[in-house]
Amino acid sequence: MRDLLLQALFSGVLVGAYYTLITLGLAIVFGAMKIINVVHGDLVLLGGFMAYVAEQKLHINPVLAIPLSAIVVCIAAFVVYLLVSRIREDRELNSLMLTFGLAIIFGNLYLIVFSADIRSSNNAWFQQGVVIGDFLYSSRAQICTLVGGIAATVLVWLWLSRSRYGIAIRAVSSNREAAMLMGMNPRSAELLSFLIAALLATVAGAAVYTTAVIQPTLGYDITIKAFVITVLAGLGSVPGIMLASMLIGIAEALTATFASSALQDLIGFGLFLVVLVVRPAGLFGASGREA
Amino acid sequence: MKTLLGVLCAVLAAASVAAIFHTNGYILGLFVAALTIAGVALAWALLGNLGGMISLGHAAFFGVGGYASAILAKSAGWPVLLAIPSAGVVAAMASLVMLPILRLRGAYFALAVLAYAEVFRILATEASGLTGGAAGLLSIPRIPSGVFGLSDGIVAYSLVVGLVVLLAVCYDRVRRSYSGLALRAMQDSEAATSVLGVPVFRLKATMLLLSAFATGVFGAFNAHVIGFLQPDYAFSGDWSILPMVAAIFGGYRTVTGPIVGAIAIYLLDQLVFKNLVPQGHQIVLGILLCAMILFSPRGLVPIITRGRSAVSKDKDARHVAA
Amino acid sequence: MKRRLAFAVAALATMFWAAQSSAKEFNVGVHMPLTGGLARVGISMWQGIQIAANLFNDAEGGHNSVKLSIVDDESNPAKAVAAVEQMAPNVDAFTGGFGSNLVGPASETADRLGKAYVTGGAVADEIVARGLKGFFRVNNNQGYAKAIDGLTTDLGVKSLSILYSTKDATSNLAQQVAALAKKHSVNVTMHPFDSNTSDFKPLVNKIKLQDHPQMIMMSGYENDYVGILRAAQILKPDVKMMVGVYGLATEQMNKDFHDLVQNVAGTAVLSYPPIFKTDDGKKFAESFKAKFGKYPDYNAVYGYVAAQMLFAALAKVPNGDASLASLAAELRKTDAETLLGHVRFDERGDNPDFIQRIAQHQGDQLVLISPANAATGQVKLPGRSW
Repeated sequence: MRDLLLQALFSGVLVGAYYTLITLGLAIVFGAMKIINVVHGDLVLLGGFMAYVAEQKLHINPVLAIPLSAIVVCIAAFVVYLLVSRIREDRELNSLMLTFGLAIIFGNLYLIVFSADIRSSNNAWFQQGVVIGDFLYSSRAQICTLVGGIAATVLVWLWLSRSRYGIAIRAVSSNREAAMLMGMNPRSAELLSFLIAALLATVAGAAVYTTAVIQPTLGYDITIKAFVITVLAGLGSVPGIMLASMLIGIAEALTATFASSALQDLIGFGLFLVVLVVRPAGLFGASGREA
Repeated sequence: MKTLLGVLCAVLAAASVAAIFHTNGYILGLFVAALTIAGVALAWALLGNLGGMISLGHAAFFGVGGYASAILAKSAGWPVLLAIPSAGVVAAMASLVMLPILRLRGAYFALAVLAYAEVFRILATEASGLTGGAAGLLSIPRIPSGVFGLSDGIVAYSLVVGLVVLLAVCYDRVRRSYSGLALRAMQDSEAATSVLGVPVFRLKATMLLLSAFATGVFGAFNAHVIGFLQPDYAFSGDWSILPMVAAIFGGYRTVTGPIVGAIAIYLLDQLVFKNLVPQGHQIVLGILLCAMILFSPRGLVPIITRGRSAVSKDKDARHVAA
Repeated sequence: MKRRLAFAVAALATMFWAAQSSAKEFNVGVHMPLTGGLARVGISMWQGIQIAANLFNDAEGGHNSVKLSIVDDESNPAKAVAAVEQMAPNVDAFTGGFGSNLVGPASETADRLGKAYVTGGAVADEIVARGLKGFFRVNNNQGYAKAIDGLTTDLGVKSLSILYSTKDATSNLAQQVAALAKKHSVNVTMHPFDSNTSDFKPLVNKIKLQDHPQMIMMSGYENDYVGILRAAQILKPDVKMMVGVYGLATEQMNKDFHDLVQNVAGTAVLSYPPIFKTDDGKKFAESFKAKFGKYPDYNAVYGYVAAQMLFAALAKVPNGDASLASLAAELRKTDAETLLGHVRFDERGDNPDFIQRIAQHQGDQLVLISPANAATGQVKLPGRSW
C-alpha cells in the first residue's frame, strides 16, 4: 500500500513536469495577449515530429536536436503570430477562431506528411528504467523531463521578473496603452512571447516523443490540457503553473491507482471545475475573474 | 414584419430544395446534417450574442439531448416526436449544473463548458446500465415516416427545417425584446446594468437554459436520424466546434449567419472539396476559416448583403488599439 | 433580397451538378475511413477488397464482373450513412466498413435501402443483435476471445489481469475473455483505462503489487500497447505472458518498436513473413505484393475475405437477381474455407466458426503459436521483453 501510494505520487510528479512544459508556452501567450492560442498543442506536436525526424531520419539524439527543432517551431510560431496580429476587431474571439483554423491545417498537414501511425523514441538510453530506493520507478526520459520542467519554470520566472523583455511583456499585458505611452512596442513584446512559447513547445515536444507516443491527432488534446492547467493555476504566477501541473498529475495517478484509470480525466476536469467555481482567480492567480 | 418575410423566404428556399432533391436521399441527408449543425450554431450564437458567453463545449447539451431522447424512445417507449422536445428539457436541466460558472468571463467560461462536456462523456461511458456504456445504443427508433405519405427522408428534412426556422424566429424575438436590449447592454458593462436594476444573473441563466434546450433538441433529432449513439460520438468535440466555425463563418452576429454558414461549410466540404481533394479536404476548411477571419471577420452574410446599408444594430465591435 | 436569392439558386445549381453520378451494372459499393483516425486500417482493408475484385474478375474471365465504388466516410457515422445513401441507387450490395460505430448506422441505412452488407470490420456483439436480414460479417470479438482463451489454456495460466481501454470494441472483448476464463476457474482481475492515458506505471504497479497474475492481457490499440509495455519493462512484473489484441502482432509494431515487443503475443491472422499454404492464399499474397508493393496485413485479409464471400454469392444468385432477399439467401448458403478459416453465416449474419489466431514476436518475425492447427512455430517463454 505504501509502495503503491509513493509510486503514484512519484508518477504524478513526473507527468506533472511534462504538463508544466506544455503549459508554460500557452500561459505566456495567454497572459501577454489574452488570446487562446489553439494551435499551441500542434506546435508542441511539431516539436515532437521534429524530434522524430532528428532521431529516425538524421540519427541525431532527439534532445540534442532541440536547437534544430526549435528553428522549425519558431518559424511556424512566427507565421502564426503574423496572422494573429492582423486581427483588428474582437481579438479574443477572432484569434480563437483563427488559431483554430490553423490547428486544423497543421493537424491535417501532419497526417499527410507523417501518416496516422504512432511514433515514439526507441532510444534505449531514454527508455532505460530508473529505480529509486527499490520502489520508485521511472524512465530516464521522464527524469530528464522533470529536470527540464523545473529548469524551464525557473528560467521563465526569472526572465519574466528580471529581464528587460520579460518586464516589457508583463507591462504590455497589464496595460497596453500605458506601456505604449512609456515607449514600449507592444508588438515586439507579443512576438517575443510567441517565440518563447515556441521554444518551450519544442522542449515539450521532445519530452512527449521520448516519454510517450505522438500521433497527428494529439495537438488539440495537448492544447486543452495546457489551457485547463493555465486556468487552474491562475494568471500571474509562473511557479503556480508548475504546482498546478503537479497537482493534476498527482490527482490522475492517485485516481488510476486507487480508483479506476478510466476516471482519470474525470478527476482532472472535476478538480478544474471545482477550483473555478470556488476560486475563479485560479489557485495561485493574482487578479479577480468575477463579473 | 421582417420576421414573417424572412420565414417565408426560408420556407420557400427549403421547399425548393426538397422539390429538386426529393428522390435523392443522399443530398437530402446532407442537408439534414448541415441543418442540424445550423441549429446548434444558432443556439451557440444565441448564447454568445445575447448571453455574452462563448462556449467551447456545446457538445455537452447535444449529447445529453441525444441520449435522453434515445433512452425515452427506446427504453421507455415514448413516441419519437414527444421524446425530442422532452430531451431538450433534459438538456436544459443538465445546464443547471453550469449555473455556478455563469459568473466567469471569456475564455474561462468557454473552457469550463468544455470540461462539463468531457465529464458528461465519461459519465455516459461509466453509466452502462442506462446508456449502454462504451458500446452505446443501437437501433434507436427513427423519425417516423409515412406522415402524409412522405418518405422518412423528407419527413426528417421538413422537421429539421421547421426546428431551425422556429429557433431562428425565437432568437430574433428575444433579440428584439426588452430582455434582448438588456442583454446587449450587459455586454458593455455588467456592473452598470446591474446597478440599474437589470437582473443580470437571471438573464444569463435564461439564455443558458434556452441555448441548452435548443441544442438538446437538435442532439435528440440527430440521434433518431442516425439511429445510433456512443459516448465518443454524442459528446464529440465536433459538435462543439463545427457549429462554432459555421456561426463565425456565416456571421455570428446575425440571425441568418449561422444558418448560411453551416449550410455553406458542410455542403461545400462534402460536395466540392471532398471530390477535389479526397485525402485532405479538411485542410481546405481550415484555410477557408483563416481566410474568413482575416478578411471578413463578420462572416459571410455581411459579404452577401453588402449592397444594403450596413447600419447594424450590433455596434459593439471591440477595437484593438495599434 | 434579389441578390440573396440569385446567390442561393446559383449555389444550389452547383451542388446539384456536383452530385451527379453515373450508374453501372453489378456494382458494389464500399465505404471506408480513408482519412481521419482510422485511415491506416481503412486503406489497408480497401486494398484487400480491391484485390478480391481483381482476382474475381480474372477468374470469371468476362462472364461476371464486379465494379467497385468507394467513398471515404472520414471515420464519421453521419458521413458513413451519407456514403451509403449516395451509392445505394447505383450499387447492388455493400462491402467494407470498419468500426462498429460506422458499420452500425451504415448497415442499417443499407438495410433500409434494400441492399445486402457484408463486412470484415465490425467485431462488437451488438452489431448482430439487430435483426437485419441482409447483414453479414466474417469476424467477431467471440473469435478473438476464443483465441485468447485458447492461449490461456495452452499455457496453463491460472490468474489473468485484463487491462482494457474503455472504448466499445476493446471493453466488449475484455468482458468476453473474462467470461470465458472464469468458466475454467481462472482468476480474473479487470482494469479499465481511459484511452488518453499515457503513463501506465500506476496501473501496472497496481497489478504487479496486488494481482500477481501469470498473464496480462492488453485490450487496446497501438499507443496503449507501447505505454503498457514501456511501464512493464521498467516495473518488471513477473508474468509468464503478455498478450495484446488489435494491432499488436503486426509487422509495423515489430519494425517500429522491435525491442519493446520481443516475445509479446497478440491476436493475428497471419504470421510474418506470411506463409500462405493454400492456392487462394498464395494468389492473394502475390497479387497484393504486385499491386501494392508489400505484404498484406490482417485488415487487408478481412477486407479480402468479406468481399470474396460477397462476390461469390453475387456470381451464384439465380437470374442475376441481386435484391436483398435473393442475395441474402445465397449468402446464407456460404460454406467456405478461407484465409480466415471456415466461414459460414448463421441467422444473425454472424460467422460462428471464426477463431482468431495468436502470434508472438520472435526476433524480426511473427510466429503463430495458437491454436495448434494453425501454428507455424513454438511459443517462447517467458512471453515478455524483460
